[in-house]
Formats: sequence, C-alpha cells, structure tokens
Amino acid sequence: MNLTLYKKEWKSNWILWVIFAAVLTVYACMIVAMFDPKMGDSLKMMADSMPEIFAAFGMADVGQTLLEFISGYLYGILLTAFPAVYIILLSNKLVARYIDNGSMAYLLAVPEKRTKMIRTQVIYSITSLLALQIYIVAVLLIYSQIMFSGELEITAFLRINVGLFGLWMMIGGICFFFSSVFNDTKWASGCSTAFVVYAILVQMISQVGDKFENIKYATPMTLFQVDGLAAGDGSAWVGCLVMYLIGIVFYVTAVQVFARRDLPL
Amino acid sequence: MKDMNVININHITKDYGNHRGVFDLSFQVKEGEVLGFLGPNGAGKTTTIRQLLGFIKPDSGSVSILGKDCFQKADEIQRKLGYLPGEIAFIDSMRGWEFIRFIADMKGMKDLSRAKELMEQFELNPNGKIKKMSKGMKQKIGIICAFMQNPKILILDEPTSGLDPLMQNRFVDLILEEKKRGKTILMSSHIFEEIEKTCDRAAIIREGSLVAVDSMEKLCQGRTKKMEIAFAEESMATEFMRNYAAKHKQNSQKQGYDLGQQGNKVILTVGNNIDQVVKAAAQFTIKDINVHTQSLEEFFLHFYGKHENLEREKLSESIDVESDVQAGKGGVR
Ligand SMILES: Nc1ncnc2c1ncn2[C@@H]1O[C@H](COP(=O)(O)OP(=O)(O)OP(=O)(O)O)[C@@H](O)[C@H]1O
Ligand SMILES: [Mg+2]
Repeated sequence: MNLTLYKKEWKSNWILWVIFAAVLTVYACMIVAMFDPKMGDSLKMMADSMPEIFAAFGMADVGQTLLEFISGYLYGILLTAFPAVYIILLSNKLVARYIDNGSMAYLLAVPEKRTKMIRTQVIYSITSLLALQIYIVAVLLIYSQIMFSGELEITAFLRINVGLFGLWMMIGGICFFFSSVFNDTKWASGCSTAFVVYAILVQMISQVGDKFENIKYATPMTLFQVDGLAAGDGSAWVGCLVMYLIGIVFYVTAVQVFARRDLPL
Repeated sequence: MKDMNVININHITKDYGNHRGVFDLSFQVKEGEVLGFLGPNGAGKTTTIRQLLGFIKPDSGSVSILGKDCFQKADEIQRKLGYLPGEIAFIDSMRGWEFIRFIADMKGMKDLSRAKELMEQFELNPNGKIKKMSKGMKQKIGIICAFMQNPKILILDEPTSGLDPLMQNRFVDLILEEKKRGKTILMSSHIFEEIEKTCDRAAIIREGSLVAVDSMEKLCQGRTKKMEIAFAEESMATEFMRNYAAKHKQNSQKQGYDLGQQGNKVILTVGNNIDQVVKAAAQFTIKDINVHTQSLEEFFLHFYGKHENLEREKLSESIDVESDVQAGKGGVR
C-alpha cells in the first residue's frame, strides 16, 4: 500500500463519508426511537395500512423484540440501499475518475508498481466501508443501550452486521471492478448503478408477494439473510461467506485487469 | 560508455485502426542527448510516449529505457524519470502547492528546494486552487513536477504548450541547463524553433511512421527561408535578378524554390546559399528585407513525398499569415 495516496484519499473523500454516516445515523436513531415495547407499534400500524409497500422494503411481519425491530426496519433496505449509493460514488472516484480526467498519469509516474497503486485504492475502499460499518454498529449499540438498556441481543445483532458487511464487500467489489475496467466515468458509474438498481429492485419485487417469490434467486441481495443470521442458521452463514467471496474475487480481478490493461492517459 | 542508448524504441506498432496509431517506429535516444520529437497533430507522438511510460503496451515491437522493459519495469524506470504529460490534468480541488507536495511525497522526495527554485524561475504562485488556474500556470506546475526530483531522464510531451513567449524562453534555458548537467531528454513539440534551440537530434513522425531522424544540422540543411528584398529602385531589382539567375540557376529551378520580381521587390527562397544571396543584394541599396521563417508544415514539405507537394503547398499558403507572424519574431526586420 502507498501511504501517501491512502492518506490523500481520506483527505479528499472524508466529506462523502461523513455525509453518509450522518444520514445513516439519523435513520438508525429514528428507527430505534420508534421502538416502543409498551405502547403498541406505530410503524406496525402504518405497515398494516399499506402492506405491499412495507413488504417490498422487507418490512412485513416485523417482530416484537428490539433486535427484530431493528433488523426488520433497518437491515431490510436502509442499510443496504444507502451504503450502495456511497459505494457507487466512492468506487467511481477511486479509479475511473483518475483515468477519465487523466490525472492517473501522475499517480503512475512514480516509482511504484501499478498493482501497488490500485491495491491502495482497494484498501481504501474496504477500510472506508469498514469504518462506516463499525461506526453504524457503534451508534446502534450505544443508542439502544441509552434508550432501552439491556433490550438488544448483542451477539445476534453482531452476526447480522457481519453479514451486512459481506453485502457491502460484494457490492463494493463489483462497483470497484467496473471502475477499474472502463476508461469512462460514464460507463463505470453507469454499470455500477445498473447493477445496484437491478439487484435491489428484484429483491423488492420478490418480497411483495408469493407470485414473484422465486425471482429472489435472481438477485445477489438474497444472500444476505437477516433473520437467518440473527438465528445463526448454517445456510445464512453460507450466504454470508459467498458474499465475501464474490467481493474478494471482484476486487482481486479488478487489480489484475488494471495492472495489465492499456490506459489512455 | 558515451554512446549508450538510454531510450530504445524498437519497431513498435500500436494500431488504433483507420491508420491511426504508430507503425513500425524505431529510434533511440543516447545518453546525455536531447532529442526533439516533431510531427503534426495526430501523428502519434503522444501514443509513442505513452508506451515509454508503460501506460500502454505496443501491439508488436519493444520499448525499453535503460535496458528495462517500459511496461514490466515501469516502477524501476520511474526512479530515474521525470515526465510531463501532454494533456494537463491534475487532481481537482487541490491547491497548486499541495499538489506539488503530494507528487513529491509519492516520489519519495524529501528535498523540495529544486521545486522552489523552479517556481521562482517560472514566476509561479502555487497557492491558488488548481481548478482556477490559467492554462499556463497549470503547465508550469506540470513542469515543476517533472523536473523537481532532478531525474536523469526526462520525457516531455509538448512542454511549452500554454506558455507565453517569455516563459517559452525560460523553458528553453531550463532545457539547456539540464542538458549541461548531462540529462537525457526526449521532448515532443510542434514548434521547430524550440527544438532547433535545444536539441541535438530530432525525430520526425507523420501518420504514425518515422519520416526522418537525424542531427539538427542535417535536418536544417534542407530548411529554406522566403526572403523579400525591397531595393531602392526597380532597375536594381532587375539587375539583381539577372545576376542571381545566372549564378544560382540550379537553385531557382529546384523544386519549391521561388524567384520572382514585383516592381522594386524581389521575392526568393533561400536555402544554404543565404550568404551569397545577402552579399549579392548588398551591392545595391536596400530599403527593406523581410524574412519569413518556414513554418513546421512547410518544413515537413521537405520530407514528404513529391506527390503530396501540391496539396501541401496549398496548405502552406493558407497558413502564410502564421509564418508572417513568426518572421516578425525570428526574422530580420
Ligand atoms: N486510445 C485511443 N483509441 C483510439 N485512437 C487513438 C487512441 N489514442 C490515440 N489515438 C489516435 O492515434 C492517433 C495519434 O494520436 P497521438 O495522440 O499520438 O497524436 P500526437 O502526435 O500526440 O498529436 P498532437 O500533436 O495533437 O498531440 C490519433 O489519430 C488519435 O486519434
Ligand atoms: Mg500529443
């Protein structure tokens, strides 16, 4: 890893990170605050009034415990879709942007191997996601502790987050791959966006009713099984592992392709 | 070893289709030599340089610097190389000085005194945001980034584009200074004068193929100037014409050489016979002399095939305005 480049990336991308962290904080706190073990569930009432929409967002039949509440309302869509937007923007900035505007010429006109430079970007991509993941876990843990002390099953909650990070890694790897193989930011962000929109849309449709249930096999989002992870199911762990593997394979391929390709600088 | 080839371009072909790219190109840059790389737009200069930097691989043939393959060993070569890209592109949102420091860090440099020296030499204030800098200022930042680590080898793609004439001269001085220090330099350009002032040899490329590579002296031999001499009286012009035609018959019949009279004015093309022409004209009273230095396009004419001459001549007429401007700068007035 090239430390100078790594630091530079933090310096020029921290605002993006902070914006997404802030948005996620607001959502996380809002959802936790809405959990109310004593007085009936206001979200539940809303869900009953428009079941399809809530189902699409994976928020149907949310259970009664704090863990079920959080995993239903946050991990169904908010913590997958919003970070996906962050991943698209970030991946595009980390490689394609430099190629597109030509400044990659300066990054490569230094006594370092190309693989080392691109690996630095991979490490930045993963660590910045990891920082976001750790941050959001900390926010949820601390806030639920403050609001409803002792209510959250912490180990199950952490298991879900191991899975969530696998999902982010998978999306991160795929978007990073697109960013590294195209010369044009248009193509890079276009393909990343298309992939994310497709994956999430198919997931939402598959959740609406039994009719479309089977198309869930057509989206990689299905690999993230929130309830299964909460329960510690073996099959949920397999899905989680597969997501990490897909992410790693795409990151590694991106590095290999980038190291060998022609760059129009 | 004095004659060692530092940069070795060996039969490279990079075909982008439609006759674009470079084709079977070979030339060498020796240690301590400054080599000019000339060619019209789209000739393939940048494409060649990209291969030297290891950004792209040749389809066939090989490029090496200091005996190392440019693609495989790009990192090792970079230790000794300063590069100025042809297209100015920096990391937006950085300030000038911040960018220079960032590049210095990336290159593992500690000492920034050379960068500061260069900033003074080029009168650059690097404190503003790069995004808001003028083209020339950005070019200066690029120049500083290329030269500041004091590299042994320099590859410069159109280094003076965007610089004003004063700064172009400063740049020429910088090249001469670096040359004295024994640097090996390859620089591409459209401006013959700049190459003429700095380079030992030049390679000329057109439509991706090498047209000539030779010492500046040899290349300049074929160079001609258009001279316009106004005599005090018409009879003098007639007399001059008679003498000249007799003495330089072979010249006036050479292809591309003009000779003609317009009242008291004689317009003629001079080559290496300039000394005789001036001395012959000096026998009469001269009111005015104009010298039009050849533009690059006209100069290339010398190297292009004959069948293209007509077409080229038409082209050079249309850019005559430009060569007039150049004459004002470099010619006798
Ligand atoms: N990545 C690419 N894909 C397709 N064609 C390309 C590519 N890069 C360069 N070309 C073409 O190759 C030719 C040579 O381009 P190059 O940039 O090397 O010219 P140049 O000599 O540097 O010209 P200029 O003086 O304008 O800078 C051009 O016709 C250009 O369009
Ligand atoms: Mg060019």
